[in-house]
Formats: sequence, structure tokens, C-alpha cells
Amino acid sequence: MEGLGRRFGIVTALRDVSFTVRAGQIYGLLGPNGAGKTTTVRILAGLIAPSAGRVRVVDLELGRDNPQIRSLTGILTESPGLHDRLTARQNLTYYGRLYGLTDTALRTAVDRYLAVVGLTDAADRRVGGYSKGMRQRVAIARALLHEPRVIYLDEPTSALDPEAAKSIRELVATLRDEGRSIVLCTHNLDEAERVCDRIGILNGRLLAEGTPAELRRRGRAAATRVALDGGSVDASALAATLGSLPFVRNARAEGGDLWVELAEPRRDTPELVRELVTRGARVLAVAEDVASLEQVYLELVGERVERDPEGARAA
Amino acid sequence: MRLSLVATVFGKEWREIGSNRLLLAAVAAPAVIFAAIPIAIVGFIEVNDLDVNQLGQIAVMLAAFPDLPPKLAAQGFIVTNFMAYFLLIPAMVPIAIASQSVIGERQARSLEPQLATPIEVSELLAGKTIAAALPAVLATWAVWVAYGLINGAIADPRLLRMVFSPQWMVAMATLVPLICVLSVLLGVIVSSRVGDPRTAQQFGAFVVLPIIAIAVAQFLGGQATFSMSQVLIGDLVVLGLIGALLVIGSWAFDREEILTRLG
Repeated sequence: MEGLGRRFGIVTALRDVSFTVRAGQIYGLLGPNGAGKTTTVRILAGLIAPSAGRVRVVDLELGRDNPQIRSLTGILTESPGLHDRLTARQNLTYYGRLYGLTDTALRTAVDRYLAVVGLTDAADRRVGGYSKGMRQRVAIARALLHEPRVIYLDEPTSALDPEAAKSIRELVATLRDEGRSIVLCTHNLDEAERVCDRIGILNGRLLAEGTPAELRRRGRAAATRVALDGGSVDASALAATLGSLPFVRNARAEGGDLWVELAEPRRDTPELVRELVTRGARVLAVAEDVASLEQVYLELVGERVERDPEGARAA
Repeated sequence: MRLSLVATVFGKEWREIGSNRLLLAAVAAPAVIFAAIPIAIVGFIEVNDLDVNQLGQIAVMLAAFPDLPPKLAAQGFIVTNFMAYFLLIPAMVPIAIASQSVIGERQARSLEPQLATPIEVSELLAGKTIAAALPAVLATWAVWVAYGLINGAIADPRLLRMVFSPQWMVAMATLVPLICVLSVLLGVIVSSRVGDPRTAQQFGAFVVLPIIAIAVAQFLGGQATFSMSQVLIGDLVVLGLIGALLVIGSWAFDREEILTRLG
């Protein structure tokens, strides 16, 4: 989609949002409440019209081809939105029919997805008596029933226990492997990092976009932490001398370790280690300190976070 | 409009209505009450001797049936005059079902997943309208038939002809379904603006009160029942009102409005 915008009266919910989700890719949309995630999904699903911009879904033009777009997309809405007086099977059968499934294909799909979400045994109970997690699983089955090529999942694991959440994440990964395009809206940064191939951070407009690794490197200059054998050299003196190296942007000592900002960490780290050894240092470990996705997210959406040296990750 | 999708929505709604005992009671109660009262009066007249000299102010009723003996004329007037209240069933019941349906969907937030399917809003609303209207139509017809048969059985078979008169056959075939549709549309539109089914049902007074007014005016004027021309005029008036509500409903119920206001 290109330059997507949406106004509600005088309120601009989305401004100039552009991104692409390829087949076999999970695209995570992160953002605070009111950031426009649900509005984006509703536009993509052909439910509401954009005020600006252009969207293509599997070679179909949004607006002109909305009925076809809706038939090849599946959506897990923010709230499960089930019919409480119907059983899970009746709920799924109803939606299967709305998506054009009939007879054996319908029964097979309902049985299959009841099994996929682990509700076969409870299939003939009214969903009004279900737990939140069970309701969420019915809604997930509903979104997948007609084998959509494009899937929008709004907080799919929000009401689930860890075991069920894990199984849903595995299911989402399987769907990706089957070549489907998936847009995943979530507040769960850990989940986004683990599941998504690309992530967009949204807050009215797209603040950042990239792979999880790209985003982690984005928030600030990457620093390389070098753990030294304390007895070999004085870390502070060593840090002062490193500034003269062309590939070192900044260096400081902290707790006996060195924190070095390199121009290109992957390229410059071996050279840095060689220089340190040359200068008499005994290097115990080297690790690239990359910001967590949470840190990047919070910085981007306007909150400040203190740098946490403990959050350093092994390079 | 794809009838298979309308039928699918109808089937789902019908299943939900069938599982809601409170709603079923709301359908059945008015029908039973409106039929039971005149049957009781007719029965009372039947088992008690009617003293024509005591009729006084209701003598005017008897004038409506000059060819019948006073007792049967009184029964005939009661039987036919109360039938106007049968029109309250299609006015009251569908609005209760429709408002329950739309507000129930709003509260459950189940409109969005339905609108995310290939169904058109018109197909969704058509399914809901038929599902809300049909119980009232069937209840009215059932009560009408039972009413005629019971009165004919407990009093005089000539009452059957009064109940199953041509104008009432036309009224049952046309006016009752039209009032049902009017009531459903009103229920749907009002439910899109208020959050409580009871509030929505109170707006049913817009349909109920004119019918009561007509019935009372008819009684006070000594007119036993509607004439054929009155039935046809009623059809036209209700059709006009339906047209007006469809115009209002068309902007109140586009897909985006439902999602952003009601979703």
C-alpha cells in the first residue's frame, strides 16, 4: 500500500502509511492504542475506505474489488465477536457459508479448524459458556476457515495461556510457510520479534519499518562491549587511546569493561580485537550491544528508556 | 442480492431467536392476550342471556349488524372490532426482535467479522429483517386462524365468516407483513443510535400508537371492522413509511457507518 491515509472528521487516524507484505511473509504492526493498527487492518480488509492512498491486495484494487478482496482475506478482529447462543460448530458453519463454502467442503473445513485450535471436544457447546481463550480460538478458526491467501490477525494471542499462545504462534508460522501473507497487529513485542519477518511501528504514521534485527540496530549507535581481564591494562587509559582509530566513533570504560561504538560493527570488530591485543589487553569476551525491540519501540513512540547494559546481546 | 446468503443469515438469526426463551415469550404473549380477551367476552355473552334493554350505549354496535339477532350482533361486533388489535402483534414483536438482534450484535461486536466476509450489507439486513418479521407474521396468522375457529366453535359459526372476511384476508396477506417490515426497519434504525434494547423498543410506540388510535376511533365510531378500501389505504400508508425508513436506513447502515459507529 502507498500513502495510505484516513481521517475521521477532523481527526487524522493515519497519514501517509506505505508498506508491502509479500507472499509467505509475516508483517507485524506495532503501535500504542489508537495508533491506527485496527484502522489499517480494516482498510486492508476492504471494510472501510481510505481517505488517501492506494492499496493492492493480491493484484486486486482496494475499493473497486472489495468483494473479491474480502473473499480471499481472513480477519481476526480485535474482539472475537462470536454469536453466543450458537455452538462453536454453528458459528464456524455460519461463517463458512458466508465465505461460500458448502456441503462436504464446509464440514471438512469446520472439523479441520476445530481440531487445529483444539476445540473438537467442545465444538457442540454454546460459545457463550466458553472462556476468553476458547473464544479467541474459535475466532482464529473462523479467520482461517476459507483458506484465505491474506490473513489479518489483531492480537491473536492476547487472551491465551502461554501453551495455547505458543501453539497459535506455531500455527501462524505454518501459515506463513504455506505462502500466505499475514499482517499481525500486536502489543506483544517479544511475540513480534519471534514471529514477524518484518515489523512496522505505527503511531498515526509509520515511524519505522524493517526486519526485527534492522529495527534493533536502529534506535541508537550500536556499541560493542569488550570484557577485559582486569589485571592486564587500565581500561580507562585504553579507552582514551582507542579514539584515534579511524573505525572507532567513541569509546569509554565502564566497570572494567570497554564500550566501543564502531562505524560498522560486523566489519570492525576483528580489527578492534587485534588492536586491543596489540596494546596488551587480555580480551575475555566481545558482544554487540543491540537495543531490544522494546527499547526501539518505546523510543520511537515517544517514551525515553535508560540504556540497560544488562540487555546486551551476544554478537 | 444473493438469496443463499440471505438464507444463511436468516437461518442463523432464526436459530438464535429460537434459543432465546425470553424473546419467544415476548412473541407469544401479545398474540395470546389479544386473542384471549375478545374470546372471553364472546364466551361471556354466549353463556349469559343478553338483555337488549340493558345494552344502552353499546346499542350502536348492533347497528353494524342489522340482519343478526342482538346477541350474535354483539358477539360479531366484539369479534371483528378486536381484530384491529391483531395489527399490534406485527407492530410490537418485530421491533423487539430486531432491536435485540442489532444491539446484541453491537454488544458482542459480531458485526465486524460478518461484514469482513463477502456478504453485502443489504443481504445481511435482508436476512435479519425476514428473521425478525417472520415470527410476528406467523404468530399473527396463527392467532387469527385460531381466533376464528374458537369463536365459531364457542358461539356461532357465522362468526367465522366475519373473521375470515375478504378484507381481513387481504389485511393478513398484505398489511400484516408490511407493518412487520416497518417495525423491523424502525427497530434496526433506532438500535443503530441507542445502546439499550428497551430504549429501542420504546420507539415502537411510533407504530403501535397509531394502530391503537385507529382501533379506538373505530370502536367509538361504531364501526365494526375495516373496509376493504381502508385496508388498501393502510397498505399504501405503510408502504410510504417503509420507503422513508429505507432512505434513512440506507445512510445509517452502510458498511463503514456500522463499523465506525456500531462495530
